Amino acid sequence: MKGLFTKLTVNRALGLATLVLGFLALFLGDPGKGARATIDPSELALMVQREVDHVSPEQLADWIIAGRSDYRLVDLRREAEFAEYHIPTAENIPLTGLDRSSLGRNETVLLYSEGGIHSAQAWFLLKARQHRSVYMLSGGLDGWKERVLFPRVTADSSAASLEKLKHVSAFFGGSLRTGSGEAAAGPTLIMPKPQISAPPVAPAGGTTTKKKKEGC
Amino acid sequence: MSAPWYKFGLFGDNVSLVVAFVIGIGFGFFLERAGFGSAKKLTAQFYLTDMTVFKVMFTAIVTAMIGVFYLGWIGYLDLSLIYLTPTYIVPQFAGGLLLGVGFVVGGYCPGTSCVAAATGKLDGMAFLGGILAGLLLFGELFPLVSGFYTMTPLGRVTLPEFFDLSYGLVVFLVVLMAVGGFAGATQVEKWMAAKKGVR
Repeated sequence: MKGLFTKLTVNRALGLATLVLGFLALFLGDPGKGARATIDPSELALMVQREVDHVSPEQLADWIIAGRSDYRLVDLRREAEFAEYHIPTAENIPLTGLDRSSLGRNETVLLYSEGGIHSAQAWFLLKARQHRSVYMLSGGLDGWKERVLFPRVTADSSAASLEKLKHVSAFFGGSLRTGSGEAAAGPTLIMPKPQISAPPVAPAGGTTTKKKKEGC
Repeated sequence: MSAPWYKFGLFGDNVSLVVAFVIGIGFGFFLERAGFGSAKKLTAQFYLTDMTVFKVMFTAIVTAMIGVFYLGWIGYLDLSLIYLTPTYIVPQFAGGLLLGVGFVVGGYCPGTSCVAAATGKLDGMAFLGGILAGLLLFGELFPLVSGFYTMTPLGRVTLPEFFDLSYGLVVFLVVLMAVGGFAGATQVEKWMAAKKGVR
């Protein structure tokens, strides 16, 4: 038995090692998909408390206007709802599709849903899967309508801030709301049509925007 | 998870260029040492008299595959972040055919022509010149061929996903193919040598 190993040529020994490693691979399971999702509860709790994972609607509006593209805006609602209206530049990944999505662990992801609950749940899912920078839109789509599309103008807001509010909401196809109470309940607010310039969609289930410098 | 290093920000664009340079030098060096700077050695592959190309390429594939599989398995490498060239069946089939014909006729593939040119071989330099001219031509004509270029897209696919097999099984099958291939290639070389001797 001992002689068998000493007699092997280097090529044969390497071939044998390859076979053994390949054979073991049969039983080791999936090397990729986070079978070992681990979370650090105290760290996550701290992040939640400090609200460092929140992005305000106004901030997002600024990002979109400035044309920032170093993050991915993800709409977690159902397809029909997404088709009806979505924040410009958003892509639709329903909550159930999150597991199979093309979101990279190194990408900055900003989540939103109708209110805030689904995005918070998705935030935990992604955090558990070791995604580095995941953010939530505070207030969700409701907050977006309330603070960007149809912001309420109060008597004490300054002229400068009023001008900015008007400018931003007009950019996204909304308008200012004056007065209080009754206006909100009164005539229905017409949601702007989703913009034609949807984010680029990769062909047939591929990933979206790929960095050009990759590949050989 | 802390690899791929570049994508996790361990180094930036500038350092990545240095890393690419070092890896490129290493790649070229080992191609040359394997004898791939010689068109005679490379084309001998197609006459089945010298299977070195097959062996070296399959060794590289198997080594990289086992490395990636085990690094992913121990949780060091994030497989989802490894760049995969998207699949376009028809154009890639045509491109592969073209590359194969070019390989037989010209005696080099793109990488080995660089190696040959670097060692001062005139045919390698001519081949490299052809590559550059072809790149320029393709770039200029791209609007005409862009429809063909993006035909039959499948996106980012891997064998385990496409055939719905486990990763481990695919690794094992490729290893079997490689080891079987090595043994077979050595046998083929012997036959061809014998045939030559008879003639």
